[in-house]
Amino acid sequence: MRCHIVPPHMLERIARNADDPALRARARRTLALTSAHATERRLAAPAAAPAPSGAAVPNRMIADAGHKERLPGTTARAEGAAATGDTSCDQAYDWLGATFEFYETAYGRNSIDGAGLKMISTVHYGERYDNAFWNGEQMVYGDGDGTIFTDFTGPLDVTGHELTHGVTQYTANLDYSGQSGALNESLSDVFGSLIKQMHLGQTADQADWLIGQGLLAPGVNGVALRSMKEPGTAYDDPQLGKDPQPADMSGYVRTYEDNGGVHINSGIPNRAFYLAAVAIGGHAWEKAGRVWYETLTGGSLASAVDFVGFAAATVQTATRLYGADSAETTAVADAWKGVGVSQ
Amino acid sequence: MKVTVVRSGGFAGIRRRGEADSASDPMLARLVGRVDLGSVPPPGRIPDQFVYDIDIDGRRTTVGEAQLNGPLRELVHHVLGHAE
Ligand SMILES: [Zn+2]
Repeated sequence: MRCHIVPPHMLERIARNADDPALRARARRTLALTSAHATERRLAAPAAAPAPSGAAVPNRMIADAGHKERLPGTTARAEGAAATGDTSCDQAYDWLGATFEFYETAYGRNSIDGAGLKMISTVHYGERYDNAFWNGEQMVYGDGDGTIFTDFTGPLDVTGHELTHGVTQYTANLDYSGQSGALNESLSDVFGSLIKQMHLGQTADQADWLIGQGLLAPGVNGVALRSMKEPGTAYDDPQLGKDPQPADMSGYVRTYEDNGGVHINSGIPNRAFYLAAVAIGGHAWEKAGRVWYETLTGGSLASAVDFVGFAAATVQTATRLYGADSAETTAVADAWKGVGVSQ
Repeated sequence: MKVTVVRSGGFAGIRRRGEADSASDPMLARLVGRVDLGSVPPPGRIPDQFVYDIDIDGRRTTVGEAQLNGPLRELVHHVLGHAE
């Protein structure tokens, strides 16, 4: 979890007594995210009293599939419950908390649907299962085979990526095929990376811009699964092959596999985001991230939008937020030129 | 009969390909006899699930991980077990 400088006893006092309701809500949220239910219970208002306004708190549930492929599995840890001692279960719980906190803090979004949806993750799915996915209702994580992949609950950006598929489903609902599918994938990588960057307190120039760093087992020749900064360079290994992502439109891959190459061509919009974020500077979630977030959730994006359409929409959002002649809008427009999506 | 299976997608997006011939593989021959490619539902568009492209002597189908069960599931895992 992120380090909170304010100690819990002070947070409790703020949560109870502060004059500013927003400050009280924020303290409650921090307590809910960082400590166990003991604190939450002490703070709990009488049953009849309504929750303080604006106090968005996560509602997490971790289930254990017991190495079967059935969902959701048995409940392992509900919101506010103490740590279980199972690393995958507790890691999944903490990373859901960090992801919730990111969306709440950066964009004022209350969970996946913006209305406090319960966040459900199933861990220990399948036998040595090398994957994580979003099934339309929840997140699912395999333990990895231990030879090529480690536990998929490990890296924070994997949880951020999967949960963001949920955010996309509840907003622009981009078709998971072809260019709109690659954009769907890219948005999950973008916010997955931003969640990690906020957690680590990094600026755009400090971030590694890698996706799935820590997921490859020792001995595999690679640093991660994808690089937003340099698509195509994340791994090159006898067992895995070489990272197939193109860095710009000249390398766009046409294929019927993988729903039309959604995990391959996402490298192009990924790098566009990286270019915009680095050109703008500072914390990437604040400006470049806001432009992408408002484009995704603004309600005017077609579900079958292509790269050109999405690029134009981000320039429009940047113009609305920062002005047509602003450095931010110029950075966004230049980023799409940099990957050959626009001239 | 020549059977080819390609797995694509997944969070990692790493492709796996396997190929086997039922003429020299009695287990595969039995599985092919129990599989009906015509009855496979279209793959759902589920983010990061594995997608399987199956080719049995030129007859092709695409199956999503969630729909993969019964003898087709056995066949896919058998052939991918031969993946290089
Ligand atoms: Zn994905």
